[in-house]
This record gives sequence, structure tokens and C-alpha cells, in this order.
Amino acid sequence: MADNEEFISEFLIEASENLDQLDQDLVALEKNPHAPDRLASIFRTIHTIKGTCGFFGFTKLSNLSHHGEHLLGLLRDGTINFNEQLASLLLELVDAIRTFLSSIESTGKEGDAAFPDLCQKLDAACLSVDTPSINRREERVASPTESTNQSNQHDDHIVSAHDEDPVSSNDQAKADNLVSAQSTDTSKNSGSTRASNSIDATIRVDVQLLDTIVDLVGELVLARNQLRTTATDEPTLLDAVNRIHTVTGELQEVAMKTRMAPIEQLFNKFPRIVRDVAAACDKKVNLHIDGSDTELDRTLIEKIRDPLTHLIRNAIDHGIESTDVRSAGGKSTSGEVSLRAFQESGQVTIEVSDDGAGISVDAVCKKAVEKGLVTDDAASGMSDERIFQFIFEPGFSTANAVTDISGRGVGMDVVRTNIESIGGTIDISSQRGVGTVVRVRIPLTLAIIPALIVSSGGERLAIPQPYIQELVALRKHGTSHRIDGLEGAPVLRLRDRLIPVVYLDRWLGLRDWKKRPTSGTVVVVKVDSHEFGLVVDAVTTSENQHSHATETTGLWFIVVKAISSLLAPMGIYSGATVMGDGSVVLILDLRGITMAADIPAHTRRAGDLQSTSEGLSEVIKESARYLVCETHYGRRVAVPLNQVQRLENFLQSEIDPAGDSCFVKRDGELTQLIDPDRILHTSEKLEKEPTNSSVVGVILPHELGNKAIAVRRIIDVETGHGSLEKTTTKSGLLGTLLVGDSATEVLDIIAASQWSEESPLS
Amino acid sequence: MNTSEERTDQKRCCTFLIEDTCFAIESDNVTEVLQRGVINKVPLASPAISGLLNLRGRIVPAIDLRVFLEYPATPHSIKQISLIVDISNEWYCFLVDKLLDVKAFDPHQVVPPTNNSSSALTGVLPDTDHLIHFLSPEKILKNLLDIRTESLSVG
Repeated sequence: MADNEEFISEFLIEASENLDQLDQDLVALEKNPHAPDRLASIFRTIHTIKGTCGFFGFTKLSNLSHHGEHLLGLLRDGTINFNEQLASLLLELVDAIRTFLSSIESTGKEGDAAFPDLCQKLDAACLSVDTPSINRREERVASPTESTNQSNQHDDHIVSAHDEDPVSSNDQAKADNLVSAQSTDTSKNSGSTRASNSIDATIRVDVQLLDTIVDLVGELVLARNQLRTTATDEPTLLDAVNRIHTVTGELQEVAMKTRMAPIEQLFNKFPRIVRDVAAACDKKVNLHIDGSDTELDRTLIEKIRDPLTHLIRNAIDHGIESTDVRSAGGKSTSGEVSLRAFQESGQVTIEVSDDGAGISVDAVCKKAVEKGLVTDDAASGMSDERIFQFIFEPGFSTANAVTDISGRGVGMDVVRTNIESIGGTIDISSQRGVGTVVRVRIPLTLAIIPALIVSSGGERLAIPQPYIQELVALRKHGTSHRIDGLEGAPVLRLRDRLIPVVYLDRWLGLRDWKKRPTSGTVVVVKVDSHEFGLVVDAVTTSENQHSHATETTGLWFIVVKAISSLLAPMGIYSGATVMGDGSVVLILDLRGITMAADIPAHTRRAGDLQSTSEGLSEVIKESARYLVCETHYGRRVAVPLNQVQRLENFLQSEIDPAGDSCFVKRDGELTQLIDPDRILHTSEKLEKEPTNSSVVGVILPHELGNKAIAVRRIIDVETGHGSLEKTTTKSGLLGTLLVGDSATEVLDIIAASQWSEESPLS
Repeated sequence: MNTSEERTDQKRCCTFLIEDTCFAIESDNVTEVLQRGVINKVPLASPAISGLLNLRGRIVPAIDLRVFLEYPATPHSIKQISLIVDISNEWYCFLVDKLLDVKAFDPHQVVPPTNNSSSALTGVLPDTDHLIHFLSPEKILKNLLDIRTESLSVG
């Protein structure tokens, strides 16, 4: 019985592999019915299943496959022509057999389902087409098929194929069939030769066993590293250590290879899925698969199955237009979906593309604004790719979503989460009317990851590389890279952006909060759409030559080990690694830190300075004090007092026009002057204003760069009353407020500073 | 009669000291005993978790029973001992002051604690010269996880 179980489990593995192959063959046949070799191989597969089932006493399954085999026999001999209905019927058969197999796998019995309907349909298919065919042939076909049924259940594929041969050669009408049937045989023979060879060359190994080997090799690597750190000057010992070093390195490489598998095993499932989805949507779709020999970590293949399936479904359901629309648009009636995998700089890229309707940027944009994910202004400055990222926001597409993209977003957040959980990224590019490409990039393996080792508060920590955007050195002096408090929350000014920062040492409780370091490095990371900086003391490059982590461009390749279930729920460490000196270094879980440190999501998503504008307008409502000024054209404007750094007087002669902007020199640095009149569309250029010999500059906080609002004079500091009326859509203006005793326009400092910088004023 | 019953029911435990109190854990899952080695801190972890140690490539969390049992912090004079315990295939290291002995005991003679069932203390056994306090490693872990959740929800 135990033996039997072993055979059964082998049978199950083989049968399910063969069924996967059947899926592909049937879908291929549907496209190109004149492929007798495929039919022959399908026939053989079903025949083998039938035979083996008989042997194990699974009579229902055997009976079902017998019905199928009969039909396939007729098909193979050309008595019946292959068509779509038959393809569906046979795919149904494949699914039914799968049901049996899974029942056998879980319970050891074939279950109660007997699929009598399916048997009837299969028989009906045989009969209906049999009738018009020549009786003589029917007889001939029938008898060998029967003989096969009765033939020894241990029959090898090849033997049974030979059994059938005389039938096809007797078949006068199918001369070309004969040729291909023979060629099938030879190919089958060569195939089986290859197979028998490969029996020697490849074996099935328990996945867990392989993983254990990889783990053990990892430990060996660590031991090797320790050995190297303690190596002596003794030449023979040194020699041995060096050899151990080399061999261990190679061993590690080979061990890692055992984890790799071609992505083919996943890609092969898609022809069937595409067929089914296309049929369900009543669309015609061709699937192109490219690069299925690309290898990646076995565990990753399993993890991208669902996301990829989702993307392909989406491409067919929502990407490809209906046949009518396509022909009206001058496209071929059948849509093209392609699936491409390739390796690129240590990552695997998988592209799912379609030549469908594409996604409307405007529709996505509109929806994003509606959902409050971004403001109109911010969105107008964003690239298409960035806008498409909104599709991945949770619940982006809802029932009342714009039709162009409806459904496109369903589950896309899950897709992104799945991809990102394995350290991957996903992006969309799309052109209206031309098609959409979704690009998924994932690491080759999860067992070894590139990471940055940083030190903070005396501890070493690893930051996984895929999240890292850039490193910024903090300087003591100068405004270029400085951390400033923006209403209590420290931010880093980086080019035109304000990035929230987390002082890692204090956040982790390794140092107290009192003093703020002025030196160090900011590791700018991005998690989803949250961008933030981690302030660390230093980035460790591999000065330690003995480390097992190979160092390239400051990155370490670290072996990821799980941390205890005691620490995993903390959500701020994703694992740990052992360094060359044997010490344990924790790997930061940036996703968890993003949540735990409460990094604002919307601001980063909205991007650039717009983000803080939202934050600041909150502040503005509360702040009661305003600096009231008069512009050169006599308009009364107010600037929230807490956004004023100080006031300075400039002489007209000090102002240098450069391009569209005006600058003054302060402390050796150029400060850009912003003319509120221009923002308010009331004036000409500042330097043309002759009436005033001096200008008052309202210097803005340096988070916004070296900028100042240029006004004619300061009226007073007054208190605002009531609520801010949004009287304008003009960018740069928050609205109107009662300041002092008259209505005053309140400047949106952030938008204003951004405005003058980004859009040439007209 | 009496002896045979003892033989079938008897279990073994590891006894150790923290300050002057004798504690014990069942020794079935104690895989090895080591001198305290290098332990790398885990920032923000519960105070009783001293950190992680590298045990032949396996990363093992170390739990300081002194801290867990709310004794004063370990004086420098004490060289702590690591008990490595296998709990459902995960290894944990328990730091104690001094290892005493591996003893056979009869579980029926262990007096269960009076009220606080949530504590890691599973019972007390009177021994020749002192009381042995039995600890359940599983309960210690559970407690640590609960503490952590509380502190995070507050913070």
C-alpha cells in the first residue's frame, strides 16, 4: 500500500504536469487546428491517464478519460475536424480530470463526481460528427481504439502510438497527416530518448531539502568569514583558508541556483487563462509569450502568479476593445496581449502589454482629484507615469469610476502590494488608442538582497536597496542640504522638494531627542508614494575586507534571515543578517516604519511643494496674525506671519533681472524675488516700476528656498477674523480674509514660490 | 507501587538562580547551555528582550529573565548564562544568573499558583532547601508579545 501511495503521488505530479501541457496544446490547436502532432500528444496523455487510473482502480476517472480518448482518437485520425466547441469540451474534460486528481491527492479517493453530463457530451460529439463520415473508416477507427483500450495498462506511450500507426497510414485521405504523424513519432522518439537521458541528468528533489542546503551553505559562508578574520600568518593554514573561501563562494552560487526556476512554469498557464477570459468577454485575443526561459527564485514565481494573472485579465477585460470598436478604429479584430520577461541589472522585468484602448490620463487625473489624492494644480505638473500610479491607490476605481478606466483599478492596489512585498516595483505607461504596458520589476531572489548598512546611535542597521532613492550628506553650513523644522516636523529641503525626515537614532530610542545633529547622512527612501529621509550617523562601506557581503558601490549583498516571531510583529524589522564578524544586523522594514513613524501619505503622493501647502493652509486658518503689505500696484495682500522669516529692504539698483525672474544678492547667495502683482495678474515686470526707489523683501522660510515676496511697503501686522473665503482659483492665492478691518487677499506662499519658479509668468 | 508511579510520571527540569530565587523550566526543550555571548540590541523591543544572538548562523532572540521577572538590572559582576530553548522549532535564549542543576521531579507535586494565571509562573515545588518556581517559556513569550502590543498602541 505504501508503495502504491508513492506511485500515486508520482502519477499525480506527472498527470498534473501533463494536464498543464494539454491546456496549452488545446489552446494552440484552437488557433491552428492542423497540427496532428499536437492531437497525437493530447491523445497519448489522456490515454496514459486512463491506463494508469485503471491500474490504480480509479474507475470513474478511467471511464471519463475513456470517453475523451475516443473523441480524441477520432480527431487525431481526421474523422472529425477540430473546432472551438470541441476545444471547450476538451478543456472541460481537462478540468474534470483535475477535479479527480485533486480529490485523489487530498483524500486518496477519486471522489463522488462522475461527470455523466460531460461523458454524454463527449459521446455526442463523437456521434454527431461520425454520421456523415464514411462508415468504413469509422469501423477502422473504432477497432484500434478499442484495442488500445484493452491493451496492457502498462503500455508505454510510444508503443501505443505505434499501435495506432497502421490506422493513420491506411487512411488514404490524409497523406499529409501521415507524414506529420510519422514525424510526430520520430519527434516523440527523440523526445523520449531525451527524456530517458534526462532521467539520468535530472531528478526530482524535495524543495525543502534544497532550502536546507541553501541554509547550510549560508552558515558555511558565515563560518568561512569568521575563519578569514582570524586567519594567521601560517602559510599552509592561510592556503587552506583561501581554498575554503573560494570553494564556499562557488558552493553558495550553485546552491542559490537550485532555487532558481524558469518562469516558463508560470507563463505556460496563461494561454489557457487568456483563452477563457477572452471567451468570457467575447473578444478575440492573441497572446505572445517571450522570454519564458528567464530564471528567478522559485518562491518568487509563486508570488507573482496572482498579480500577473490579474494584470492579464485586466488587459483583456479592460484593455482590449470589443471587435466592433477595434475594426471601427482601424485595428485588426483580434487584440494582441503580450507577456515578456527578461533579466536586467540584477532584476527580472515582466511586461504585460496590450494593444487596446489605453488609459486616459485625464480620466485618471479627474478621478484622483475627485478622490482627494491630489490637487488639480499639482496634477497638472505631473508626468503621465506618475498620474498612472494613482491607479494603484486602494479603492481607486469604484462603481462610479469613469468608464474609461473602470475596473482597471479594481484590485490594482492588491497587485502593487503583492509586488512590493517581494521588493518589486510596478509602473504603467499607456497611450490612448495604442495600448498599455504594465511593467513589473522584481528581484531575482529574496534570499540575498542588496542593502545599505548604516550606523545610527551606535547600532548597525540594514536598509534594503530597492527603496533607496538617494543619499544626501548633511552640511553644517549653507542652505543646500539642511534639515529644518516645519511646524515641529523636521523636513529636508532637497532641490524643489520638502521631504519629511526621521532621525533614526532617536526614533529607535538609541539617543535622546534633545540635540539635533548637524552632520550625518540622509538616506532618502520611497515606499509606495511616501517619500522620506532617514537621518543616520554614517553609511558603512565595506572597510571590513573579511565581510561576506560583497561590496559594490557601497551596497552589501546580505543573506536575509527571518527574525523570531517574537520580534516580527513589531513591524519595523523585516529580518536580520549576520555580518562577517558574527554580529547580527537588523534589516529595517521601511513599509512598517512608514506607518509607525506616521509619514504623511497624501503629501508625498501629491508631490512636490503642493504637499506642504496643504499642511500649511491648515496652519494658516489657525494663525491669527498676518503681515499686511501693499503691492507696487496698490493691492492689499496678507502673508501669514508664521511664514515670514524676516523683512529686508532692497534698493532697485540691487535687483538683477535674470530671464523671467528678478534676484537680489543676500549673504553671497541669490534670493529670488516674487512679485505678488504678477501672481495676481495685475502688473508688468517688477524692474519697470519706477515710482519706488526701494523694495521691501518679505523673506520666506528657507524650506522654500531663497525666496522673498517683493512689496512696496509693509502696512501693519494685523489679526485675521472669520474664515478664509476661497474667492479665487488663481494659484498663489489662498483666498480672502478679513484682516484688521478690511478684506485682504492672503497669499499662498508655497504655491507662490513654486509658481514663480516653475511656470514662466506671462 | 509508589516508585513505579514516580518513574512514569517523572519529568526533568533545569533549575537556575536569579538573585537568590530558584527557578526552573522543563528541560525537554532546552537544547544547550552557553556562556552569554555577543548580543546585538533590538531597538524598540520590549526591555526584557536583550537582543539577538548569532548561534551558528541561526538568529536567536535573547530574553533576560531578570528584566522579565522585574528584578533589578544585572550587576556587572554576574556573568549570565544562556539557556537555549527550542519552542516549536524556533530557538530562544533565556538569560539567567546561574545554572544550578538538572533535576527530576514529579509534576503532581508542583503546587499551581493561587490566582494570577496570566503570569509565566506555572507552579511551585518545595525542594530540600528552597522553593523551585516553575516557569513556562511559552507563557513568557506570550507575555512579551502582549506587552509589546500594548506599548505600541500607546505610542
